[in-house]
Amino acid sequence: MLPAIPRLTRATAFCLAIFLCAWIGGHASAAEPTSGGTLSMILNPEPAVLAAGVNTSSPVYTVSPKIFEGLVTYDAKFKMLPQLATAWNVSADGRTMTFKLRPNVKWHDGKPFTSADVQYTFMEILKKVHSRGPATFLHLNAVQTPDPLTAVFRLAEPSPYVMRALAGAESPIMPKHIYEGTDPLKNPANLAPIGTGPFKFKEWQRGSHITLVRNPDYWDKPKPYLDTLIFRIIPDGAARAVALESGAVQYGTQYIVPLNDVQRLRSLPNLAVTTAGYEYNTSVNYMEFNLRRPYLQDRRVRQAIAHAINTDFLVKNVWFGFAEKATSPVTNKQADFHTNKVPQYPYDLKKAESLLDQAGLKRGADGTRFKVTIDWAPSGEMFRQTAEVLKQSLGRIGIPAEIRSSDNPTYLRRVWTDNDFDINIYSASNIADPVIGLQRFYWSKTIQKGVSYSNGSGYNNPAMDKLLESAQVENNPAKRKAMYADVQKLVMTDLPNMGLVYIQWFTIHDKKVKNLNTTGLGPYESFSSVYIEK
Amino acid sequence: MSAWRDFWLRYRRKTSAMIGLVLLLFVMLVAIIGPWLVSADPWDIVVRPFLWPGEDPEFPLGSDVLGRDILSGIVHGSRVSLLIGLAATATALGVGVTVGAVAGYFRGWPDDILMRITELFQTIPTFLLAVVLVAIFKPSMLSIILVISAVSWPAVARLVRAEFLSLREREFVQSCVVIGMSETRIIFQQILPNCLAPIIVMSSILVASAILTESGLSFLGLGDPNLMSWGTMIGIGREAMRTAWYMSALPGIAIIITVLALNLVGEGLNDALNPRLKNR
Repeated sequence: MLPAIPRLTRATAFCLAIFLCAWIGGHASAAEPTSGGTLSMILNPEPAVLAAGVNTSSPVYTVSPKIFEGLVTYDAKFKMLPQLATAWNVSADGRTMTFKLRPNVKWHDGKPFTSADVQYTFMEILKKVHSRGPATFLHLNAVQTPDPLTAVFRLAEPSPYVMRALAGAESPIMPKHIYEGTDPLKNPANLAPIGTGPFKFKEWQRGSHITLVRNPDYWDKPKPYLDTLIFRIIPDGAARAVALESGAVQYGTQYIVPLNDVQRLRSLPNLAVTTAGYEYNTSVNYMEFNLRRPYLQDRRVRQAIAHAINTDFLVKNVWFGFAEKATSPVTNKQADFHTNKVPQYPYDLKKAESLLDQAGLKRGADGTRFKVTIDWAPSGEMFRQTAEVLKQSLGRIGIPAEIRSSDNPTYLRRVWTDNDFDINIYSASNIADPVIGLQRFYWSKTIQKGVSYSNGSGYNNPAMDKLLESAQVENNPAKRKAMYADVQKLVMTDLPNMGLVYIQWFTIHDKKVKNLNTTGLGPYESFSSVYIEK
Repeated sequence: MSAWRDFWLRYRRKTSAMIGLVLLLFVMLVAIIGPWLVSADPWDIVVRPFLWPGEDPEFPLGSDVLGRDILSGIVHGSRVSLLIGLAATATALGVGVTVGAVAGYFRGWPDDILMRITELFQTIPTFLLAVVLVAIFKPSMLSIILVISAVSWPAVARLVRAEFLSLREREFVQSCVVIGMSETRIIFQQILPNCLAPIIVMSSILVASAILTESGLSFLGLGDPNLMSWGTMIGIGREAMRTAWYMSALPGIAIIITVLALNLVGEGLNDALNPRLKNR
């Protein structure tokens, strides 16, 4: 029985060490980034893999860029900043893009990073198994590698949006020597990745945490500043709030705590709430109609339902101000594309009723017209509450609605594989360009069974296809903007889906954690500049 | 009639049993006539959200996260909770009594088979089993009733089997066999009435645990999202626990009162119906 005393001594030593560190730290200059320390952050839900090249769900999108880097990153205004590429050039016809790669970069296993890795990543992984890659890189015919530090993209058509899809989270450069000759989706390295980034994978305790450690050979010395990065998997919102309050974790992103709790956490002295860093991930909360349903095929019925949802109420009472009323399917944060000169559907139950009457769906003897079901994405209470608000309004205009709750796999299968739904409440990111984030909902070629967050409504309009396809290859920014304005007009007329609110995600972090938002990617950045103030 | 009076006198003797009965009658009264006294639809958004109890006399118990009247929710919820409790118990009794009676009366291989099946259910923690079953079926009033009865019948079966095993050896049963009475009549007309007392006692406890299970399921978000039950209300209020605790506390009190009442009544029935404790 030796534990008692030695443990005490050890604890004392530990405390002493901490005080010592704190004392030394306190004497260092406050403005200069300080090295060392551990940052624990919240991760939820637990990801399936850790490589964003093969899985783009949001937890992967958060972990992966710490390990894998992109050719470039972006500032808050989408200006390209060098990462693995140091210089780039687009030819006048928009069909050739040349990247000069950073010399002396090594993979975490010591092998050198070369243009062959870039070629392999784009042609074999992103073009083939990425959820958005096949659309983004549709016109990318080949990546040529004249020398180990030059990569030349050859495009069949001008594809300006490619230049917006090169961040580490969206298009991570992956090691050819690990993935070549394997099925990228099943490669064991997806679970224990090898990248070029500032942090190396150390361990993944399922259901508990993922640990990354500092990459001492990182190209951008003296970065990274942190020694260890721990992602704690905490599935319960109330527990996440407690973890932040107690300081057990110092950082959380996206839907961290119930929104009605944010104000309370904001008032705590050690915590800060910020909406910076979400310039790249611009989420919109949509209401989607299943056009395969006979009643919902009538545009007037969809417009009536659009008139029946009180978005002002949603912004105030469901989102607690962490959202803005949506006026079009493209978020207003994408000023290059957003327009509000489109048909609007203000909350007006009388108008809704008259539209339904016009559509020939008069109230029956029991006062109802027809029934609908509402499914909601089980990734936040906000979507269930939106469904509840919608249900109440629909009841008033004679459409009894049934809300269906399901777990995530069931929900995804129901909407995007079985197409067994009437109305679906979900959120999706516009990402940086409509080709990457928007086209998937309205293009007839993205009616793909089994591909989540594709064209689930089954919307098939040749005029829309033509608009989308010509906007995709238009090289002139002004003309593109006009084309996407037409796309938004058509969406708001046909209403296969409808933006309800533009979500403003937020970060809650310990005030001692600094340099969190040096670029526009915020939580999806590499965190090489992040440090903890001593 | 004297048997009933006798029973009533014995039941009345215990204060806790009377308290339980009064509480239970009150809850039932609320469930029966309450919904006519409050707003018709508890899901209606009627006032600003996060209204605290007492802030507005029109909504004495305040409003929830979306501005729904909590009083209306609790009143309508009483009907849902009691209905689910009673229906699930009735179903569980039906299955449990049949299984227990057959196993206890016939013994031999029917007993072996039925008891192995019962044990299969009993080895899995009931609430976990309920969670799994609800996750498999679509959550609705009917599926929740079926799931709760599916996890609560084994206890009934066990109890009834034990009673049958002892009663079937008694002389009155043997005389029935001798005079050539059919097995069905022996089981249902002779033995079953004699083991009603423990079954009645158990039923009151089963209703209470069914209400708790339904609340637990709704709390975890596995309830019928279109039904305003007490568990649903706690589930809704849970996300605002730190800022507005009353949203989960008020329906929680309703559950406590009902479950407590049922347990007290069950205990009272046990004392009143068990002759050996008559003169305790």
